[in-house]
Amino acid sequence: MTLIDIILIDDSAFDLFIYEKLLIKSGITRTVKTFNSAREALKYLTTEESRLPETVILLDLQMPDMNGFEFIEAFGSVSEEIKSKIRIFMLSSTIDSRDIEKAKSSPDILDLLPKPLEIDLLKRKLAI
Amino acid sequence: MSDKPIRILYIDDEEHNLHSFKATFRKQYDITTTISVIDAEEMLETHDFNIILADQRMPVMTGVQFFEKIRDRYPKIIRILITGHTDIGAAIDAINKGEVFRFIDKPWDYTYVENAITHAYEIYKTREDLKQRNIELQKANEELDKFVYSASHDLRAPLMSVLGIVNLALLEDDLQSQNEYLELIRKSVKKLDTFIINIIDYYKNARGVPVITDIDFEELITEVQATIQYLPEYGNLKITSTIDQKGLFRSDVMKLRIIFNNLINNAVKFQDNTKSEPYINLKVEASPTGAKIIVEDNGAGIREIDQDKIFKMFYRAGATNSGSGIGLYIVHEAIEKLGGTINISSVYGEGSIFELNIPSINK
Repeated sequence: MTLIDIILIDDSAFDLFIYEKLLIKSGITRTVKTFNSAREALKYLTTEESRLPETVILLDLQMPDMNGFEFIEAFGSVSEEIKSKIRIFMLSSTIDSRDIEKAKSSPDILDLLPKPLEIDLLKRKLAI
Repeated sequence: MSDKPIRILYIDDEEHNLHSFKATFRKQYDITTTISVIDAEEMLETHDFNIILADQRMPVMTGVQFFEKIRDRYPKIIRILITGHTDIGAAIDAINKGEVFRFIDKPWDYTYVENAITHAYEIYKTREDLKQRNIELQKANEELDKFVYSASHDLRAPLMSVLGIVNLALLEDDLQSQNEYLELIRKSVKKLDTFIINIIDYYKNARGVPVITDIDFEELITEVQATIQYLPEYGNLKITSTIDQKGLFRSDVMKLRIIFNNLINNAVKFQDNTKSEPYINLKVEASPTGAKIIVEDNGAGIREIDQDKIFKMFYRAGATNSGSGIGLYIVHEAIEKLGGTINISSVYGEGSIFELNIPSINK
């Protein structure tokens, strides 16, 4: 099984801690990068650009400053090179139907995964 | 009725009618008159009328035609037709096309006209009030919608965190990490509890009946301080308070407690650990007219761009260490309900000063 690189974006320090641990424990990844701010994560993507490995992003929705959907909107204008390497899943505890609808209909979001994250579900979605 | 007189526009091609109307009613109402429907239309553009009176028989166009013309553009204004000889056809037109509120027969009778105007204005006022209520209701609904959206997130997120930790803990055999997980669960539960308490505070503040009593600031601050010193984030913070209370200050102690609690809690939470002597200085000057309260700290401070937004519901200024964004909103609401004001001056990285002025409620 090839290991995947994962970026976690979540304003909750708890959730970053939990999911980083869980992802590493699951054996699907060796490196998890964590960001408590979507803006910082976006900055990271654009500065790394060509150095960026193929990455799966798990993106929280409700965050101060830049929320998940605002991140997706800003992500729309990054280079094709970055886009080609990134797969984004939204990871949220939302049960709001408008959020769910919006996440499911966004072309840049592969799927909306409910919190708490289930590794088996993620594996299925990634087909690994 | 409001203090402003009822504003009436009266159109009649016979000038002496206008004069006599004005002479009779000028003390009661704010009256504008004209002999021309063209002038009348211009006046409608620039003035705000409650009621229009128009004579039926006029050159250029009849009163009903005039009403029909302006009806859609000025739907708020109540229309009254004055007519000498009413035939049934004109009456039908007046109702169906001009949508008039009343007919006034010529020669008109003082009481009858006054009555018609009073009733017309009542309708005008009721419609306006209804419109205003609808706007307010719509705003309240939008706020409620936002509230439910954010509150359900803030209630659910810590629970899902706990569930995540439990799932993780189940994969772990090592006892040491189990304890670490329990500690995380404790924090997450605590966060949820704080939020629930905040929601209850908010509700009490918004809906509760205020209880006005004599306020003893010394006692109030001691009480709030007692609950705060056990916070895990308390650290080696120093809280000093200077209270200068002369005479009776009366207010709602519940709201004041919410205000102090949130402001001090924030100061504790956002203290700057890089500073060797973190402090909070409380200053209260109270008299029978009002109280000036200052909460000053040398904590993290608030960025200038955030300063005008921090009182908004669910606005969270910091990405780290932040709460749900409801605390300062509740503070603001409580101060507003007490008829007071709050000002903030803060330098990012240096500290914040909140200055509150709250009047004493002497009744």
